Amino acid sequence: MDDILDGIDQIDCDILVIGGGTAGPMAALKAKRKNPEANVVLLEKAHVKRSGAISMGMDGLNNSVIPGYATPEQYTKEITIANDGIVDQAPIYRYAEECYGIIQELDQFGIRFQKDQNGEYDVKKVHHIGTYVLPMPNGDTVKKALYRQLRKARINISNRFMATRLLTGEGRVAGAICVNTRSAEFLVIRAKAVIMCLGAAGRLGLPTSGYLYGTYENPTNSGEGYSMAYHAGAGLANLECYQINPLIKDYNGPACAYVAGPLGGYTANAQGDRFIECDYWSGQMMQEFYDELQGGKGPVYLKLNHLAEETVSEIERVLHIVERPTRGHFHEGRGTDYRKQMIEMHISEIGFCSGHSASGVFVDRNAETTLKGLYAAGDMANVPHNYMLGAFTNGAIAGTESVDFIKDVDFASFDMGEVDRERERVLAPTKRDDGIPPNQIEYKTRRLVNDYLQPPKVTAKMLTAQARFEEVRHAMETEMVVKDSHELMRALEASSVMDCADMAASASLYRTESRWGLYHNRVEYAQNDEDWFCHTVMTKGSDGKPSSTKRDVEDYIVPLDEADKVAYANQRVTADTVAAE
Amino acid sequence: MPLAQTSTAVPVVVDDALCIADKGCTVCVDVCPLDVLRIAVQDDGTKTAYMKYDECWYCMPCETDCPTGAVTVNLPFLLR
Amino acid sequence: MSAIFDAFSDIDDLAEDLNDPSPGARIMAVMELADSADPGAIPYIASAITDEDAGVRLRAATVLTDFDGPETSAALVIALTDVDEEVRKAAAISLTELKDPEAGTPLLSCIASTNEFVKVAVLGGLKELRRPDALAPAIEALQDASPVVRAAAVQVIGWLQDETALPAMMAAAQDADANVRRTAVATFGFTSGPHAEAALIKALGDENWQVREAGAETLAKAGSSAVQGDLMVALDDEYWQVRLKAVRSLGKLGLTAAAPKIGPMMTLDIPNLRKECAAVLGELADPGSVIFLQDYRDDADPDVRKNVRWALNKIAKNVA
Repeated sequence: MDDILDGIDQIDCDILVIGGGTAGPMAALKAKRKNPEANVVLLEKAHVKRSGAISMGMDGLNNSVIPGYATPEQYTKEITIANDGIVDQAPIYRYAEECYGIIQELDQFGIRFQKDQNGEYDVKKVHHIGTYVLPMPNGDTVKKALYRQLRKARINISNRFMATRLLTGEGRVAGAICVNTRSAEFLVIRAKAVIMCLGAAGRLGLPTSGYLYGTYENPTNSGEGYSMAYHAGAGLANLECYQINPLIKDYNGPACAYVAGPLGGYTANAQGDRFIECDYWSGQMMQEFYDELQGGKGPVYLKLNHLAEETVSEIERVLHIVERPTRGHFHEGRGTDYRKQMIEMHISEIGFCSGHSASGVFVDRNAETTLKGLYAAGDMANVPHNYMLGAFTNGAIAGTESVDFIKDVDFASFDMGEVDRERERVLAPTKRDDGIPPNQIEYKTRRLVNDYLQPPKVTAKMLTAQARFEEVRHAMETEMVVKDSHELMRALEASSVMDCADMAASASLYRTESRWGLYHNRVEYAQNDEDWFCHTVMTKGSDGKPSSTKRDVEDYIVPLDEADKVAYANQRVTADTVAAE
Repeated sequence: MPLAQTSTAVPVVVDDALCIADKGCTVCVDVCPLDVLRIAVQDDGTKTAYMKYDECWYCMPCETDCPTGAVTVNLPFLLR
Repeated sequence: MSAIFDAFSDIDDLAEDLNDPSPGARIMAVMELADSADPGAIPYIASAITDEDAGVRLRAATVLTDFDGPETSAALVIALTDVDEEVRKAAAISLTELKDPEAGTPLLSCIASTNEFVKVAVLGGLKELRRPDALAPAIEALQDASPVVRAAAVQVIGWLQDETALPAMMAAAQDADANVRRTAVATFGFTSGPHAEAALIKALGDENWQVREAGAETLAKAGSSAVQGDLMVALDDEYWQVRLKAVRSLGKLGLTAAAPKIGPMMTLDIPNLRKECAAVLGELADPGSVIFLQDYRDDADPDVRKNVRWALNKIAKNVA
């Protein structure tokens, strides 16, 4: 295993799903169910059993729109305002309408949601506007349940193949070029439609621990989706709207205040007082967090030590079993106990993730990108704040829509020269005897991201970043060396990380205003609705460099009146604010 | 430039006495999202799993899914 | 070239290794059978439930989570009395994953077991299956000497949402064990009427704070204006958690007469409670609450001041 072998094979399928984490399995299942005759292939660079952001499960839904608790209209309004208005509402509304059906379906798969003593969904209210939180007490079984469904549906699963580039021809997608992570053998897959579900770009910034893999996101989510969409010519929206999350310091796992919140826990400053004004997980909230950390009132903590013993035990049970189960070990090692002291929090390194913000590969309400036949869902597609349930729901949408698309098309023809050139690019580090290993290339890229791209954003620093990235890219292209196929996978990931770093810098420089709180806090510019109430869409320019344009925000289908704006948006309550209903 | 051989303490520990890699088990190797585990052949020909690459997200599938309880995931020293 | 797709192997071939002399090989066979996700694998995995090796039996009990139906539950029932504790626990967990009501038949046939562990596990499996014929045996199980059995039985009854079970639920709400009472009190959420109210009001005076909390919370679903006085008494509970649920229920039931009692609670030093009081004063929208709220427009706690402003605005609208 891990030797570098010389091999290449080619297969055909109707629908190729890339990424077997959350959105991908759902896309494959839905496509197969809608058209059992369709040849659906699910590709995964690790193993579908335990891959992606929820490899160990998830402790709850924080955006469930369940009849009786919230309406699609309410939800669409909230998400619009949490993203400072820069959203196309149609995909959000469609998600909100369809997600309840997906919850019920997941329930049938054996994924369990918290129910009360009458067996009804036990939806929790976290703030006075909407009610969207649905805990998952046995959320550790999510991946297992999905795998079972995939096997039952007899989906063709291809583990250990990593897609490196999409193939295009006739103005649409034609397939993908893939490489085996344990043998370096190539696989060319021709497909009539491709659904990308490759997750966030979670290896963009460097965690404060300095450990390359100590990231907030599962580090396998290294931005291949963003990079591949970019090189294929698809548009990427609002990449300057970074992902930054509050987390348990050093452990770098989510603090899950939304799990503790309904039970009375909260985020507090060093005095033990609440300080967050913002009701939403948003850039505004992260700005408040940052200000508290920098403003002398920090550190910031997760506060549970005012709760009864019985309540703390209940919270621990959820937080330590599901999503990041090593969290219990971490506190044990540190000698910290929720009962006795507050737990130090921090903010994460930067990344791209539409699960938590508004950036990502641009998609419409059918999950289709700007490239015909290419769909995207989950953390890499720009349906804002879609989280895990959004990945499932939008994955389902992509799966069913792609079945309609392939009805009338055959394989697009493509230039075989593309494959040869890609093989040469991928295998270049295997042809060198010495040089720079991928981990050093990646470390340096990510260290530079921290030094120069982390908000608050400063023009001169971002220009410096671009110059330094170019030097590291040159080293990557001419000196990177790998000794086995596992390292080759890391080399390809380093290349995606580099592409994402370039895109982050370029997108941030393009939007000359501040927006989304800390996510795009450009200290030299204020928010400017007149010039910048729009999406920015990045594509690969003719010079091979990122190129951005403005794109109008679609007319709202759920209009916001002034009262809504005050109730939902004016989260920073100043002396003269009067909150409306 | 020549490459160095620098030591690193790795977080995943396997109890050789419990590991059934000898019987063809590769569960921990399969489920690691970062694919950092491999099967080693000992001097006496027996096989056991071990952590080959220092790229751990301390996420636990290897420990949870091991059918014989042979795997323990510690936190990497840098963030302990 | 490496294999491109995960194989779908023949079940009988996979099962051959169940006869291998090495327990490790048999464990592998059980896991591969499970990965097939093919119901045809159930009889083979069920046969491994009685393997001589505890590790093999543990794996079989664990992977049966992936399957459903009476054959699966029958095998799991056997594992519930395994000599090995790990096997027994795994079987109990797998039982809770069943979805097919048919799987309930083997469970019902052993519900009269005198073994506490078996009984709890069987009731745990029956809960989500919602079989009407589980009601009578569950009610009977409320007489069991073990409080763990009684708590499991109460849950089965609660999920069935059957009004005819009300007398049994009321009795369970008076159980000697606090956890049984807490669970029983929460089962009244689906119903309403004087019986439910009486049980819940009684819960508000329980010696255990979590029972009182469950009572206060469930009254929002099952109570009427008749419970106003009792919820107002609960506003003086020694546990702020109980007071918080009482405040919330008064708000949900729209019991405006409680506002003068909730208003003074704004002076308390418990941010979670003050936040809830402000929100409820807004929901009740009684003009008399303004004097309690106005001093907290600029409260140091952001959640409290947001709710205070929202409430003052709501009251102003109500007056206009």
